[in-house]
Amino acid sequence: MITKEIIDHIEGEASIHFDMKDEKVDFATVCFPHFRGMEKILQGKNALDALVITPRVCGICGHAHLMATVRAIEDAYKNAGKAIQLSQKAQNIREFTLVMEIIQNHFKWLYLTIIPELAKLTSSTRLQTPLKGAFASQIATKALAIFAGQWPHSSYMIPGGITSDPTHMELIKAKSFIEELVTFFEKETAGTSLETVLAYESCKDFNKLDSDISELEKNLIALGMQKKGFAYDRFINIGEHSFTNPSKLLQTKGHAVHLKYIDTEDSYSPEEKSYAKNALYNNKYYETGPLSRLMAQRIPLIKNIHRRFQDSAYSRIMARVFEIPYLLKHSLKLLNEIQIDEISCAKVQDISKITASGIGIVEAPRGPLIHKIEIENGIIKEYKIITPTQWNIGSGTKEKPMPAQKAMQTLSKEEALFVFRGFDVCSVCTTH
Amino acid sequence: MPLNQEAKPKLLWIQGVTCNGNTHSFLNLPYLESLLAKYELLYHPILPSKYTFRRIIELALECDVLIFEGAFDPLMKRHDILLKDVLEHYSQKTRLIISVGSCASFGGVFKESAPQRNSGLIFNESDPYGPSLKQKRKVINLSGCPIHPEWMGYTLSMIAQKREIQLDELHRPIELYSSLAHHGCTRNEYFEWKVDTKNFGEKEGCLFYQHGCRAPMTHSSCNKILWNDVSSKTRSGTPCFGCTEPDFPRSNLFSTQTNMSIPQDVPLGVSKRSYLTLAGIAKTFHIKRLEEKLIDYKRDN
Repeated sequence: MITKEIIDHIEGEASIHFDMKDEKVDFATVCFPHFRGMEKILQGKNALDALVITPRVCGICGHAHLMATVRAIEDAYKNAGKAIQLSQKAQNIREFTLVMEIIQNHFKWLYLTIIPELAKLTSSTRLQTPLKGAFASQIATKALAIFAGQWPHSSYMIPGGITSDPTHMELIKAKSFIEELVTFFEKETAGTSLETVLAYESCKDFNKLDSDISELEKNLIALGMQKKGFAYDRFINIGEHSFTNPSKLLQTKGHAVHLKYIDTEDSYSPEEKSYAKNALYNNKYYETGPLSRLMAQRIPLIKNIHRRFQDSAYSRIMARVFEIPYLLKHSLKLLNEIQIDEISCAKVQDISKITASGIGIVEAPRGPLIHKIEIENGIIKEYKIITPTQWNIGSGTKEKPMPAQKAMQTLSKEEALFVFRGFDVCSVCTTH
Repeated sequence: MPLNQEAKPKLLWIQGVTCNGNTHSFLNLPYLESLLAKYELLYHPILPSKYTFRRIIELALECDVLIFEGAFDPLMKRHDILLKDVLEHYSQKTRLIISVGSCASFGGVFKESAPQRNSGLIFNESDPYGPSLKQKRKVINLSGCPIHPEWMGYTLSMIAQKREIQLDELHRPIELYSSLAHHGCTRNEYFEWKVDTKNFGEKEGCLFYQHGCRAPMTHSSCNKILWNDVSSKTRSGTPCFGCTEPDFPRSNLFSTQTNMSIPQDVPLGVSKRSYLTLAGIAKTFHIKRLEEKLIDYKRDN
């Protein structure tokens, strides 16, 4: 018998139709029911207006959408023979604000989603501090807003660079917010210093701690999550950044990524109309996100976790948590490197002179986000978006399930629902 | 237990066609925890809530304050039930309905998903229209894309204190929407002397004359109570896009439509003719200080 579960308290809503056999998931289809027609809304608009519209695809990762749009437009300039040279300052600031959005996302997911769900499956009472997630993300978005003006829904990245032109005063302030966030992470999340966590080489190192992280880790092991939730052990990163590199990983071996192999297909959702499309690379499904990004960076701790527990729910969840300190450290580097006397924004030709297509790819909190734009005399002819959740959680057939569907198979329904949330589901983005 | 202890008002947050932007902006409220303590949260899309969404759509509960985020689509279903029915059920007994964001207030970005159907709760852009018209006395519009967290903080605190909130003709709280986004802009001196910025990415210059800024025509307090406590669009060199107004999103957002090199739309309440004269005079001043860079980091010491 097929039963439907409504999944709330994710970004947006989803439903899962479970087909159970002996109380275990035999097969599950995933449905994202709400369609908003963002690609059509963009048609016929001035291409620069996309910088205002696309952040509104998603309340939690709109900044990644802004960056994907600006990269797509800049790529179109390049393809029109008008390549734009960004200053290093503009690149660092864009990267910094993107990283801040990823950090706020991970803190919210940790405290508002995964820990409360974990607490339901265990007897732990320590893990009931959801507002820590909001508090930490407030600090991250303050640092972001110093440069971007506001979060959510900034439009400060424009072709040529950024609209803001910070002084030393703003850099000092941003740095002080990062220091505040590091202190929060050390005191409230890790129970030890940032450097100590970053120097970990084995997941056994967490045993020394008495903190939210160690409690999470201990409970994941107690629930056997290191032996559950396996997908294909195939990963992909596509966005080019200072904190990860584009690569396709089969187990641990890295390969180059070629954009021509990226495709989408309709999802398989026989029980209920779903508007999500599945993303594929060379006709295969791949997992994306923090585990994938950190594997590509060959981080010792993540390599150790993967060697022991492969792409289990444990590995996926711990990687997402570990990306917080990893990116906190990286964000300080980005700030320190900023040369204040460089220009914020290069002069570019008027958009009305541009007739070309472009592609913009960004690593959003959940993985690669792809925007494709076709511009004719500055006007959008066609716009296409592929979001990270379309890689992890589309809905395939029983013979060829998507990573999240595969990860839920053979588990009890409660475990499956927890494993599902381990992917950090964004239904809002998926049904753009 | 103290005598006469009143029950906390029951708060319910439901969504139409949305990006979750207001949900997340609300989480940025510095006093979120103490505000939440004043309410019984029946359901919120992200925050821990008393009930699951499945319980909410069984329509067996009631609330005192109903928050609606997103554009209203009469055909939209929340799982097996029409959103229209969910809204209707909870609207009946609730004391107040808060439309959060420009989509819920006027249709906003997601009116364009289905322009023939979608609208705000009591307005379609600025025309009275929508599913809650009959209860329009209960409706408070908090427009903005997204809302500023402090606007939510103000509204929910006022309600908790049982104070009356004065509204403008678009049902927006006057305390929040009586002044313009222009108010408090750090580029005001450039506005005053009609010196536009030469290019995006500069500290100097006003964004109103050529770069699309709508701040002198937009009701909001963005430059008075800053975003994320630190900044605003115009302070970071981005034009105001007029996101609190019923016509958001307009088009050609990064450029100003001009007439004889004066913006087509002049600051709110100012006669176009007088403005033209004033601007003409101001432009003849050529104030060197305002035409130069404020700081030259490359200067030899």
